[in-house]
Amino acid sequence: MHLLPLTALLPITAGALAPALFYRRPDACWWWALAAMLANLIAVSILWFELHTGTTIRYPLGGWPAPYGIELVFDGVAALMLVLAALSVAIMIASRRYINATIPKGRRSLAYALVLINLGGMNGFVAAADLFNLFVFMEIFSITAYALVALARGPVAALAALKYLLVGAVSSLLVLLAVALLYAQTGSLNMADIAARLAAADAPGASALALGCLVVGFLVKAAIFPLHFWLPDAHASAPSPVSALLSGLVVKMGVVGLVRTRILFVEADVVPVVLLDQLLVWLGAIAVLAGAVLALVQRELKLMLAYSTVANMGYIAVGLGLATSAAVGGALAHTVYHAVIKTGLFLTAGSILLCTGLSRVDDLRGLGQRMPLTCGALVLGLLAATGIPTTAGFVGKWQIAVGALEAGQPWVVGVILAGSLLTLSWAIRVINSLFFRPPARARVIIADEAPASLLIPSVVLALLAIAGGLGGAVLLELVEPLTTRIVGQPS
Amino acid sequence: MITELFDLRPIGAPLISALCAVGIMLLGHHSGWRIALSLAASALKFVVVWSMLPGALAGKVYFFSVGEILPGLEFAFRVDALGLFFGLVSSTLWVLTTIYAIAYMRGSHSLRRFFGFFALCVSTTQAIAFAENLLTLFIFYELLTICTYPLVVHSGTLEARRAGRRYLIYTLTGGAAILAGMILVYQATGSLSLSTPGLLEASIDERLLLLMFVLLISGFGVKAALMPLHAWLPTAMVAPTPFSALLHAVAVVKAGSFGLMRVIYNIFGVDLLATLGYHHVLAVIAAVTILVASLVALRQDVLKRRLAWSTISQLSYIVLAACLLTPLAALAAVIHIANQAFAKITLFFVAGAIEKTTGKKRISELDGIGRTMPWTMAAFTVACLSFMGVPLLAGFITKWYLSVGALAAGAPVYVGVMMASAILNAAYWLPVLYRAWFKPGEHPDAPPREAENLLLWPTLACAAYVIVLGVGAQAPAMPFALAQSAVSFAFGLEALTP
Repeated sequence: MHLLPLTALLPITAGALAPALFYRRPDACWWWALAAMLANLIAVSILWFELHTGTTIRYPLGGWPAPYGIELVFDGVAALMLVLAALSVAIMIASRRYINATIPKGRRSLAYALVLINLGGMNGFVAAADLFNLFVFMEIFSITAYALVALARGPVAALAALKYLLVGAVSSLLVLLAVALLYAQTGSLNMADIAARLAAADAPGASALALGCLVVGFLVKAAIFPLHFWLPDAHASAPSPVSALLSGLVVKMGVVGLVRTRILFVEADVVPVVLLDQLLVWLGAIAVLAGAVLALVQRELKLMLAYSTVANMGYIAVGLGLATSAAVGGALAHTVYHAVIKTGLFLTAGSILLCTGLSRVDDLRGLGQRMPLTCGALVLGLLAATGIPTTAGFVGKWQIAVGALEAGQPWVVGVILAGSLLTLSWAIRVINSLFFRPPARARVIIADEAPASLLIPSVVLALLAIAGGLGGAVLLELVEPLTTRIVGQPS
Repeated sequence: MITELFDLRPIGAPLISALCAVGIMLLGHHSGWRIALSLAASALKFVVVWSMLPGALAGKVYFFSVGEILPGLEFAFRVDALGLFFGLVSSTLWVLTTIYAIAYMRGSHSLRRFFGFFALCVSTTQAIAFAENLLTLFIFYELLTICTYPLVVHSGTLEARRAGRRYLIYTLTGGAAILAGMILVYQATGSLSLSTPGLLEASIDERLLLLMFVLLISGFGVKAALMPLHAWLPTAMVAPTPFSALLHAVAVVKAGSFGLMRVIYNIFGVDLLATLGYHHVLAVIAAVTILVASLVALRQDVLKRRLAWSTISQLSYIVLAACLLTPLAALAAVIHIANQAFAKITLFFVAGAIEKTTGKKRISELDGIGRTMPWTMAAFTVACLSFMGVPLLAGFITKWYLSVGALAAGAPVYVGVMMASAILNAAYWLPVLYRAWFKPGEHPDAPPREAENLLLWPTLACAAYVIVLGVGAQAPAMPFALAQSAVSFAFGLEALTP
């Protein structure tokens, strides 16, 4: 079966060909992109079922076995691909109207191409078993992400893209440096191989430096406080489907990087990871509070959502850092569920923006009367983001809180609750504005319900977000093997 | 002897109201559909819930589990005696309130939203009553907060939005406290089940137990309007009257009281709490709430505000009774759920009917109203007398058992509190009755102008039930026997003989 490399190659090839193929008819490119996304979804689903019937799938590229050849692996981390594939289909369905309305005809095929290449890069990133390919695929999805932010015209977007590019480049360099350090010590790039050889290399200083570089690099990608500053502008000023892609999916790649790093160093057992854990807990806790407070003082809906991403990445970091099986399981569940929630929220915010042209929460007063389904989906998504029980957001927070008690750090429970209450307070402002205040703008009064292609993804994702908590036990069971690998055996 | 039976009704009852809410949201443009759906669902639920009564009296416990939602935590419903008692009250009152609301809300804006969330709110209350574990209870407790919010801010005015914000700040912070306490309990015991008479064990660190108690009690205490956590309640009176009635009688405040009883009887358990001694403090807080709220109620001129403060006072009867930890006082706590509900909803229905018919909101405007609206005011009189503790009415039963229970607990001071509260109740209800019946109105010779039938009948039905509860409490098919079996379960008694 050659499905595994296909998940990376198919979207990238389809994306690379798109501008040339659809030079004359850029609008038809949407069908091409959607077809590629669906093919990708099918391939990933087959892989996923294989993973759950058998064992981990390993694919040596060109038949060269690891550690000499390049290897792709479909393990618990790579199972995130299914989430990527499914959500990107939703994003693609919603983006047609949006891209047609906001992006000039000549550049539409480019936009679809970038989204496809971005997806291929992410697929490759989660499946890469060696550090160098990890780096290469990281660059692929990062560079396309910068370009996607810059797709929105205007000074804010340009500056945000530039900021994103600069910070992203620095983080990529750090990761490259770490790759070089590890290669110098072990002569290998395969992660499992490095883990086995690192102890023999006997260079704790260099290993620690490599660990530090990897962690800082991925903290930037994951937008963990205080390295989050590039995120809000980039995510808020990008075209809405792109915001959904970035905030729902791309930012999760940082988490994947952290998880891969942690597994590598837990298996190598040369540098204690306790410091890393403590760092993650503290930064995550600050991120939860800071993100929620900063979201509270925003006036624009998309900026609120972007800061909420910062807070939610904080929850994930706390969960990973607590390093008990409950907390790590919670962090992984939250990674999946936050992807669902935030993709849905940004798509919904996008259709509001598209239908009314208004982005400030105060301008959206009374919109609930005119666009009840869209606004309803937004409310459900917001409730899920706050982590009201049985919504998708609750699972991760509950597990992380239980894990915090297990780890003997009860103050984390307080932080989690405070974060939820702060999130609720801005969510309520949005809900009040949409449903319980008279309209203040003419454009709200003449607004109509969003067209089906925007509405259906929003509503489906909102329902998933609100009912996701019921599947919490199932999801936690699915991530269980990965959790054990991340936590490692107590030594 | 308790036998557990797998049955669809425990989840069916909340689901009926939830589906009704969905139906109203989809089809509620037409008033015909809205009314038909509301009435049909409330009647159906009434039948479903009451059909569980004979089985429950025979010692059956109906059970339904949806499945695990978190490791070791099920999403499950279990109808035990205490839960069914609360469920009966809420499903019965839903029927009456629906009829009343259809008449009262005619011509208001956003009726689809109102009736949709109204049904959702009842659905969650029912689920709280039937929740098998604390997590399931908490899920619906939070959902209740969310579902009631649109009803509180229904009018959309600045005052309503302020009240709504205050309501949310109080209740959601309380919810966070419950969540924290719940995580501690889960961490300590590995379970959150409410099916045992006492989940926690004495071997747990005492400081931890104290923390759990404070978090859980203060969390549920917000909705039960324990002082000093009561401030949201009087402001939430801006909601439309049918909803205020339901809010004050069953939905929100009783969810808080019910949660407190679950914490006391099922999480801590009578024996553990008696050795820890935390209940003494809570009893004092409840007694203070009873008296202070009554004193504040004396000073209110707006009828609905006086009702609100009276609610705060009456709710603490339940808490006080539950804290005495004697079987008879516990019986008072359980039956006061029903007694307060029926009497208070009568008063709210009357306040709404007066406002709707004559436009009068203040007590000082009610001179001679008994002549113009004799039937309505008769219902009002019955409910007031019940609150004062006049024998043969529901309120007397509570006061009687509570006093006997207090004596059994060796705390005669609470008998004094009961007496003082009865006097205070008389002090703020008798003047209203005097004005209504004995003072001449502006037009003494004007013909009677009753409220319209759909407003009047539910009111009279509630008032009649207040009398039934007072006179026929011991009749065989009454839920009173259910309250007895709930108490004997909590105290581990074979049978309770009052």
